[in-house]
Amino acid sequence: MGADHRVFLDATLPYLDVVWQVARQAAGEGQDPEDLVQETYLRAYAGFGSYRGGSTRAWLAAICLNAARSQARRRRRRPWEVPAPALLDVLPWPRADGGDGAGDVADVVIAGLDAAEVSRCLGLLPEPQRVCIVLMDVAGYTAREAAQALGCPRGTVLARVHRGRRKLAVLLAEAGVSHGRP
Amino acid sequence: MDGHDRLLAAFLAGELNPAGARRWDEHLLVCERCWRAVREDRAGRQAAQVLRQPAPPGLADRVTFAVEMAAARTAAQRPARPGSRSRRRGRHDRRLRWRLAGAGAVAAGLVITLLVVLLPGGRQAGSVPAAVAAVARYAQVIPPPTGEQHPQHAAPVQVGRPVTVTAGGQRIVLRTWRLGTTEAVVAVSSHPFPMPVHAHGVSGRGMAWSARLGRLGLYCLNGQTSELVAAPVPAAELAALAARLPLA
Repeated sequence: MGADHRVFLDATLPYLDVVWQVARQAAGEGQDPEDLVQETYLRAYAGFGSYRGGSTRAWLAAICLNAARSQARRRRRRPWEVPAPALLDVLPWPRADGGDGAGDVADVVIAGLDAAEVSRCLGLLPEPQRVCIVLMDVAGYTAREAAQALGCPRGTVLARVHRGRRKLAVLLAEAGVSHGRP
Repeated sequence: MDGHDRLLAAFLAGELNPAGARRWDEHLLVCERCWRAVREDRAGRQAAQVLRQPAPPGLADRVTFAVEMAAARTAAQRPARPGSRSRRRGRHDRRLRWRLAGAGAVAAGLVITLLVVLLPGGRQAGSVPAAVAAVARYAQVIPPPTGEQHPQHAAPVQVGRPVTVTAGGQRIVLRTWRLGTTEAVVAVSSHPFPMPVHAHGVSGRGMAWSARLGRLGLYCLNGQTSELVAAPVPAAELAALAARLPLA
């Protein structure tokens, strides 16, 4: 540590909003997203002297995700490793029969978007897919930035986000059917 | 995910060349399975976007404050070796130093200001717990009172927004109040504020203590919820001032 903190703040504070989006989804149970944002910035400041450039947004996202994981480990909880429930395995994916409900998944989802339900269903996705959706669709990262933050190929990010979106849509449609229809 | 799905993901991401994208457009007209995948992808993306939420208003202040504290702590911990390095510095370093002098003056001013608060007398670095130092750092910008300091008829008025910080492992909510011409910071935490070495216990008040830190008076009531009042007023007036402020 020791870099000029104002240079650091000038370089990173413009991305506070996207770090907040990531932190809100990455924070585990009992973990305050604002605490996680602060921890992210303190870690980033500590490493700013050795930061070699590139996408600052991706760098901050990687730090935020790592901070969330290490805080979760300290709490002996594993919020990012919650396995998808068996429900995902038995859901028709994609629906092979093409029967009732298969064609209107998107309509059901778009018709009744509810943030709490979306958040719950997002939490049911496998971690790799969930993280990619959080970075790209919630925080607005590009596939390249998400790949940089996660340290994996961009094609992998695209594949994960695609599968994750589809599963999310199916889960939400299921929730809409079970809660909103007789 | 097979090659077909990878191509579809690339199509959805807009990464296919025009000819490839046109082939997919045509394919989607006849392939129900892929068309469903496209619709579900778009629905999932649209759903995820409802989770976007702007950052809370005080978060930037909180982050800025935490980083400033970290910078001040680093400066305070850096060992001072006057004269030992300056003799070894070459001409290049001296030129660079002159060039940076103008830009560095402002930064040095800030660091010195912080050190005045964090290191009263220049020798008490270890005697001010981090949580107390954080409150003092926040309160240092409070101007000294003028005229009648906190008249009996005045009601406390909150100044600005609350700021939440974490220092010394404890979460602290800071609020600034104005009472007449006197301003004070009230810090609230669910953990007790550690007593600085040079603080005095307040008789008859259990875990209460008071201390002087530079021009700031500190008055602390530790309990189930702990409050620390910091204001540029004489120590003798702090208890009376604290009694008139909303603490919790």
